[in-house]
Amino acid sequence: MQKIPLMCATSGMKLARDVFRNDSPVGMPVCGKDTVLTDSLLARLDHLEVKSIYVEGHPLWSEGEKTLDEILCDLDLRFEKVRNDPLTSKLHSIYTAFLKNSMGDSSGRQTL
Amino acid sequence: MDDKRSELKKIIMDIRTLPTLPGVINKLNTLSENAKASVQEMARLVSSDQVLSARILRLANSPSYGFYRVSTISNAIILLGVNVVKSLAISSSIFEIMERSSVGLWEHSLGAGVAANLIARKLALPECEEIATAALLHDIGKVIISLKCTESEQHIKKMIHEKQLYMREAEREVLDTDHAEVGAWLSKSWFLPDKLSEPIAFHHDVQLSQNHRIKTAVVHLADVLIKASGFGESGDRYVPQIQKIAWDVLKLNDEILTELVEELEDKLVEARNFSLEMQA
Ligand SMILES: [Fe+2]
Ligand SMILES: [Fe+2]
Repeated sequence: MQKIPLMCATSGMKLARDVFRNDSPVGMPVCGKDTVLTDSLLARLDHLEVKSIYVEGHPLWSEGEKTLDEILCDLDLRFEKVRNDPLTSKLHSIYTAFLKNSMGDSSGRQTL
Repeated sequence: MDDKRSELKKIIMDIRTLPTLPGVINKLNTLSENAKASVQEMARLVSSDQVLSARILRLANSPSYGFYRVSTISNAIILLGVNVVKSLAISSSIFEIMERSSVGLWEHSLGAGVAANLIARKLALPECEEIATAALLHDIGKVIISLKCTESEQHIKKMIHEKQLYMREAEREVLDTDHAEVGAWLSKSWFLPDKLSEPIAFHHDVQLSQNHRIKTAVVHLADVLIKASGFGESGDRYVPQIQKIAWDVLKLNDEILTELVEELEDKLVEARNFSLEMQA
């Protein structure tokens, strides 16, 4: 999941969270999680002054941002003292799976 | 070594050398002991100190608690409880120092608060707000060490780096005490209730917690999770070991842990924004 400015959103991206008017998480969502964005929907969100949205995967990459491999390597370094502990190494595998999953594969990445 | 420890303890237990407690707090202590004191009375008292009220509201609106808008002190007392508001009042001056001089530690504390709140809610534990507050304060001893022993702090940092130690191990070597014990002294001198002081004192050693072991276990796990996520900086980069006793007392399993990781990562986006706003 990645939070991106609405102006960087393109049709085909899938919402990872409900969208609310004025970005305020109170009241009724104007558009639900899991919706696939279309041009007309983007225009409507813009009209409602939505500034940013959460989308699935990691479609936008900025200069200097870490790749999945680098992120996993940092994770391993943080866990370096507890890799042999059964409970804590469970957490390590859960985190590894989570990061692989949420970052998606980085094919087709765009530069912000 | 022992001299250093008792000297440090003397400094910490001596209220005069600590960031000053707002006068309102003593009055609030007296008032909240009185069972008949109403929320309105307490709110009026706190609100009379405007700077303090603003600080309390800022913290009450942090992502460590799950409320979207807490706009008045009486709301804060109703939603968070007197204990929490009192602890936020007492520690707001420490947070002020943290936000300015140690953004990394402030983020670590904020993130631990977020994690603790998530864990407490997921496990349907009572007093989630108290648990979140204990997590927010769990490393408060580090701020005091850095304030009172600037020289030793440099030494501690060097040791962590050179010998690849946990911060707590380096503190023990240099000061013969650690931030958890210092936090415990501090909570005593502030008259914090046991349910806050035990998690602060024992978040690295859950089995020592006698009366509030579940709360202590949550704060311990919150600390582990936030270190695993890499959010904030707490002094060393190493994830602490999950203590078996904490795992057992919270009746954790793989599914719960997986859900917690997902929910935490989701919430941390908010926490990062909050921290950036505070620094702006
Ligand atoms: Fe700690
Ligand atoms: Fe910590």
